[in-house]
Amino acid sequence: MTDVSVALNCPACGGAISVAEGVDTVVCSYCSSTLFIEGDRGVTTIAFRNRLSKQRAVDASRRWWSKGWKARDLKRAGKIVEVYPIYLPFWRATTRVAGWICGYEIRRHTDSKGRVHEQKVPKEVMVLRDYQFSEIAADPGDLGIRSLRNFSGETSFADFDMIPTFEATNSRDDAVAHAKQEAISRARSSAGIPRVTMERLHIFPRRLSMVYYPVWVVRYEYRERMYLTTVDGVTGMLLSGRAPGDPLFQSLAITAGSSVGGLLAALGIMLSTVRAEVAFGGILAGLAVLYLTYRFFRHGSEIIEGDFRHKPASMSQTVKEFQDIARTLQGDYR
Amino acid sequence: MASTKCPKCAAPVTFDTGTKFVKCSYCESQIFIDRSGAGFYYAVPFSVAEADAIGLFKRWAAGPARAKDLDKHAQIAGIRKQYFPVYMFKRDVKGREEVLVEPAGSTTLPGLHKLRIPAGDIKIFDEGFDIGGAELVKPDIEMLSYMDSLPGKAKEQALVYFPIWRMDYVFDQKRFEVVIDASTGEIFSANFPARSSTAYMVVAAAGFVAFALEGLLALSSLAVAASLMALTVVGIFAASYYVARRL
Repeated sequence: MTDVSVALNCPACGGAISVAEGVDTVVCSYCSSTLFIEGDRGVTTIAFRNRLSKQRAVDASRRWWSKGWKARDLKRAGKIVEVYPIYLPFWRATTRVAGWICGYEIRRHTDSKGRVHEQKVPKEVMVLRDYQFSEIAADPGDLGIRSLRNFSGETSFADFDMIPTFEATNSRDDAVAHAKQEAISRARSSAGIPRVTMERLHIFPRRLSMVYYPVWVVRYEYRERMYLTTVDGVTGMLLSGRAPGDPLFQSLAITAGSSVGGLLAALGIMLSTVRAEVAFGGILAGLAVLYLTYRFFRHGSEIIEGDFRHKPASMSQTVKEFQDIARTLQGDYR
Repeated sequence: MASTKCPKCAAPVTFDTGTKFVKCSYCESQIFIDRSGAGFYYAVPFSVAEADAIGLFKRWAAGPARAKDLDKHAQIAGIRKQYFPVYMFKRDVKGREEVLVEPAGSTTLPGLHKLRIPAGDIKIFDEGFDIGGAELVKPDIEMLSYMDSLPGKAKEQALVYFPIWRMDYVFDQKRFEVVIDASTGEIFSANFPARSSTAYMVVAAAGFVAFALEGLLALSSLAVAASLMALTVVGIFAASYYVARRL
């Protein structure tokens, strides 16, 4: 077996050198040679200091219990079983995007005679920005956390040995690739050009670091079932969680949804004498309301917050999806 | 903690799973831990006890996709505490770091479509590591058999034992199997008794159509339509409450 430990010597003078993880150049303190670090030079690592007490993590979870459409007896029947902090590893990358995006926008306007005019408006936008990206560096399992929401806080390795530290197992270059993709798509959407004819963008990965972020795991029991919430150890916000739902809220939702949806559809049909499209629009809007509440009716027996792999739709998620669909429809129509 | 010798003064130097650079505590020289030529054994400790594992299973079983009241009616036939082995290879492929996970045992876990290493506080697996009475699944595929066919140059290779609870349960005289990741609590299951959406859809569709018709009826006779609507509200609420609770 080859030896695991490798001594670091200056190739010019043979003196011992000291290298901080993540740096790519170092100056020998004996002969002042500038040395380039080849091979695995590691990555700059920082850890955020945990600012939460156990009690505050519990309080954050309890506050979340009483919010939204969760089981009404959760506050009474829910019992906190276990509360502990962990350090989760994240890749954090800064990526600069620079370049030009050119294209055009089509504007339609109706003149006084009712004729529709189309006008092509050429656009060109210069992009020069740094984008922050973060991604969990391990498999998140059932923690429901994928990226960092907070980048500021006191950094310290003081309680690093006391808190269990989850190890990074994902490739750093995969993280860099994801950071590039995200930076480019964010740059594109920030340019806001509906029809792109020419695009020349350059991507510069600027900084990559490993961030250890404190997260509190709160496990609780409700009717013999075990649920889990996670709380941000710096800001004290709830990051993810699962909670039991309530059949009362599920049935109220579908009752409201089917009545409002049905009446919207009826209204559309009634007004179809004025314009035919109104009937279509009314029925569509009615069905949309029905679908939204149906999803909650069907899946509302468990309320989920956070980034889980198999995530049944929550109300807010569905609303977001609808907004997206509406936005694309609008974009096409325009 | 693993230990190696300082290449300068030969004193023992200890290092942890993720460490790349360490300082020798005797001669202060800095040492790079080169894992490319060695095979490490790692293990993730259990953070989910047996009672918690059953609780997690019940939460999962009570979820909306599972058969109604599966958490109450499923009979747990057996539960085993195991360490499951996988190989983790870190390779340098044309300057890019790639992480590959390959099976170390010929058995596969139900519901795990792709082998993964669940997040956890990975420890070095040596005599000092407490396996807590878990059964070690023996790796029966050799690490070397992968090494030759992997792309790029080796950066690190390790056998990682990750903690699982394997559970069998019986529902409706059929046997099912789930795997509970004992580090983060994720549940894996290939097949399970599923809940039908039909009743939910029927109630929703019936309510929608009834209200649409009553809305149209309101044009000709408002009073009749209003009273019918009131009846429908009560009816739909009762039906949906029954469905949400029982079906």
